Amino acid sequence: MFNTLQLPSGHITHCGARFVNRFLTPSLFLLVFSALLVLSAGAAHAESVVPNAVPPVGTHDGDDVPQPIEFPHNTHVDVNKINCMYCHTYARRSPVAGIPPTSKCMGCHSVIATDKPRIKKLTEYWENKEPPPWRKVHDVPDYVHFTHEKHLKRFVFDNEGMEVENVSEVCAFCHGDVKNMTVAHKVKPLNMGFCRRCHEANEGPFDCWKCHK
Amino acid sequence: MSNKVNRRDFLKIMGWGGVGATLAGCDMPTTVTLEEGKEQVTSYLVPEEYVIPGVGVYYASTCLQCPAGCGLHGRVREGRILKLEGNPESPVNQGKLCQMGQAGVQTHYNPDRLTRPMARKGSGLTPVSWDEALSMIQSKTSGLAGERFAWFTDTVSGHQAVLMDAYRESIGSSRHYVHEIINNSVARQVNQDMLGDPQPHLRFDKARVVLSFGADFLGTWQSPVHNAVEYATFREAPRGVLVQVEPKMTLTGANADLWVAVRPGTEGVFALAVANALSAKDPARLDGLPDKARQLIRRYDIKKASRITGASGDHIVKVSGWLAERSPSLVIAGASAEGHEHGYDTVAATMLLNIILGNIGKTIESSGTFPFPQLAARTGGTKDLIDFAKAVDDKELDVVFFRGANPVFTAPETLGLKEKLNKVGFKVAFSMFEDETTRMADLVLPMYSPLEDWGTHVAAYQPGPSVIAIQQPLMQPLYDQTRGFGDVMLSLLKMQKAAGYSDYPDYYAYLRDAFSAMPGSLKNGASDDEFWASVMQKGVLAVDTGEGRLSANVIDFDLPENPAKEGAYHLVPSARLGMWDGRHANIPWLQEAPDQISKVVWDSWAEIHPNTARKLGVKTGDAIKITSASGTIEANVYVYKGIHPDAIAVPMGQGHEAYGRYAKGRGVNPLKILALNTEGKTGELAHHGTEVQVSRTSVRDAMVQFGGSETQMGRKIIATVTADVYERTEGEA
Repeated sequence: MFNTLQLPSGHITHCGARFVNRFLTPSLFLLVFSALLVLSAGAAHAESVVPNAVPPVGTHDGDDVPQPIEFPHNTHVDVNKINCMYCHTYARRSPVAGIPPTSKCMGCHSVIATDKPRIKKLTEYWENKEPPPWRKVHDVPDYVHFTHEKHLKRFVFDNEGMEVENVSEVCAFCHGDVKNMTVAHKVKPLNMGFCRRCHEANEGPFDCWKCHK
Repeated sequence: MSNKVNRRDFLKIMGWGGVGATLAGCDMPTTVTLEEGKEQVTSYLVPEEYVIPGVGVYYASTCLQCPAGCGLHGRVREGRILKLEGNPESPVNQGKLCQMGQAGVQTHYNPDRLTRPMARKGSGLTPVSWDEALSMIQSKTSGLAGERFAWFTDTVSGHQAVLMDAYRESIGSSRHYVHEIINNSVARQVNQDMLGDPQPHLRFDKARVVLSFGADFLGTWQSPVHNAVEYATFREAPRGVLVQVEPKMTLTGANADLWVAVRPGTEGVFALAVANALSAKDPARLDGLPDKARQLIRRYDIKKASRITGASGDHIVKVSGWLAERSPSLVIAGASAEGHEHGYDTVAATMLLNIILGNIGKTIESSGTFPFPQLAARTGGTKDLIDFAKAVDDKELDVVFFRGANPVFTAPETLGLKEKLNKVGFKVAFSMFEDETTRMADLVLPMYSPLEDWGTHVAAYQPGPSVIAIQQPLMQPLYDQTRGFGDVMLSLLKMQKAAGYSDYPDYYAYLRDAFSAMPGSLKNGASDDEFWASVMQKGVLAVDTGEGRLSANVIDFDLPENPAKEGAYHLVPSARLGMWDGRHANIPWLQEAPDQISKVVWDSWAEIHPNTARKLGVKTGDAIKITSASGTIEANVYVYKGIHPDAIAVPMGQGHEAYGRYAKGRGVNPLKILALNTEGKTGELAHHGTEVQVSRTSVRDAMVQFGGSETQMGRKIIATVTADVYERTEGEA
């Protein structure tokens, strides 16, 4: 009963057909058309790094968030090629990605770059037995049930042809190009329209209660 | 916020643009995104191995919201307890949990928790350190003549009770007053005298008819959650018949197939009349009964019983018919039957029915012998309250430790407990909240919440396999100046230099040792550590109580010829699952949960019959004055057919003068105006035996009620048929 589209990669998607079928309104054609646009724009990108996925569309110009330590994501991810999930280890197991425990930082930084001012500051926190008071950059309201675990399953672990090494490309769907940032900066809107378009394009569940429990 | 979508705009958008336009609203940034950098997110310094932020961990513990002792599973996330559910391993609640248990988190997180020890200096309480507090106790108890010390508590059991006993004995006192206003003390005495077991196991699941005289077994009686589980089986095909006989409809009464309103105090007459009707059909039923019992049964023929009880004779015939046809049955008696001067005889009359019907050993089973008597529940009722007030008045007590019970709230005004307590030189309250009793204390010791503390519990009513229920902390204490009860007891025992306690650094160590010392038969060959871990994991430790046998001893009892006074109004201090005896009045969830019958929230009310209302010229919402010999209370009327015209029911639980922001100054406390009549044989307070005068006032107020209407206004939202039509069309009920 669903309309299906053949993607260039050979993957079959429903193109939000469930949604279209349910609301047969005059805007049907407009919706299909816009969905097609989104799909074709995303498909080219998806093929290269994250297969079987259409990245969500939308931008946001977030505030600068001062952090207790100006953590350089770029040094860790881009220069030293550390996998996102090495530090954000809870992301694949839990609704929340979690901020890495201070002990994880110290696992390396008790020997690496100990003379740098930021590391000195970190060591000070560690020795005072206090985690740094990080400020939250990305969040969704309490009435939204978002889970990192399920999204990583869909786009990384259960995604045929996806290399776990490239996970930062999946993280970038919602968090932007953190790889090339120092401290995180919100560049995606993370609002319902943003979620909805992505769920539509990637055949995510579309029931209200999936997210609003 | 200018971009906010209000309801009207939402409907407009829906109307104009259809679904597409509505969902476009999803992109409005100010309504659905959060500000960045405003909240902190704190990481672990060093994470525990099994902790994953965002993922709950479940621990077993025991619910202490009422004395039933249900098992808990608590969901803990990031070190905080978020949700309580029933523990399927517990034979008491079998994975279910009532609203009071669910609301345990609001006891724990209550903003009115006491956070530091306080001592009376002059007229007020001022903060002191724990060291000062404990040395105050030591100085007041040293050299004290033993019997001048007493415990005053609610139901206690397990190792806490062992430590309490040890402390009491170290001082040389034998006084431990146990007080519960919701109790079954009279019935326990009858059970002991007739069956040889104060608390036999009742099998609702095996019964085909349950005849309950005011026992609200689904709401407030013995072990409501367990009873409800058995009741569910009872209602499965072939469907058991439930008959409830009482002056005021309880939650159980509302579930009954036949609800019979009887004049307050005449439950025993109804029971004997049913026995009379049974023997009329089958005289052999009375074989083996003593002559006195036969005479008593013969005394109440249907006509006479109907006149005395106010119940229709047809109902007596119908009930006896059901009992005769369907065996086994179960006859039980609760608060409204027990709470009169002849309460013991009333309950004995209902037990006599069980004997006549041959239910002993079938639906009433022996609870066996609990192998650790030192851990068994010390339970009580109101006799201890009366005895305590007398002892205090006679200046027999110098030091009293209060725990759990709140006698200043639950005692009738005529007992004068509040004034008498001034005669006790040193009152110590082990408490989480500043309730009416704690407020009078000379020393207040702030306790851990039940979700922060260690403990073991043995419920007074052990349905099915008997268990020791384990209470383990579900999270770290919220306040660093609070302490665990067991820890404080150990400190006090050490100060008393009581033998055998000096080696335990804390209560946890004591419990570990106590479990290591358990007999090998309970450990199944496991090492001490394995045994402890398995008990903690399960939350209960089943113990074998052996096979017991019940006797069926028809004792010598008598009822007054006509136990009711016609035309006099009786006050029914009703209880409900939720408020209980008032201990949950400080829990907003339970204040907010509507009463199961009247649907009133956050308030008191007076339930009266439409005929009574007509006589008084009042309607729902009018305030009435209820006056007994000992005082007056005023409450709004709730007119309802589920009450006998001679009864005025006012729920217990409200009318607190202290006990925090949610409880204080809300509603009225019917216990205050109870007369000091006592039950003749047990000395318990006859709490349903207070005669009152009722008068209208000019005050009228809106009742805060859930629902708002008693009827469906003819809309047939739920289709119903009358019982008569049902019987005609569907055969027997």
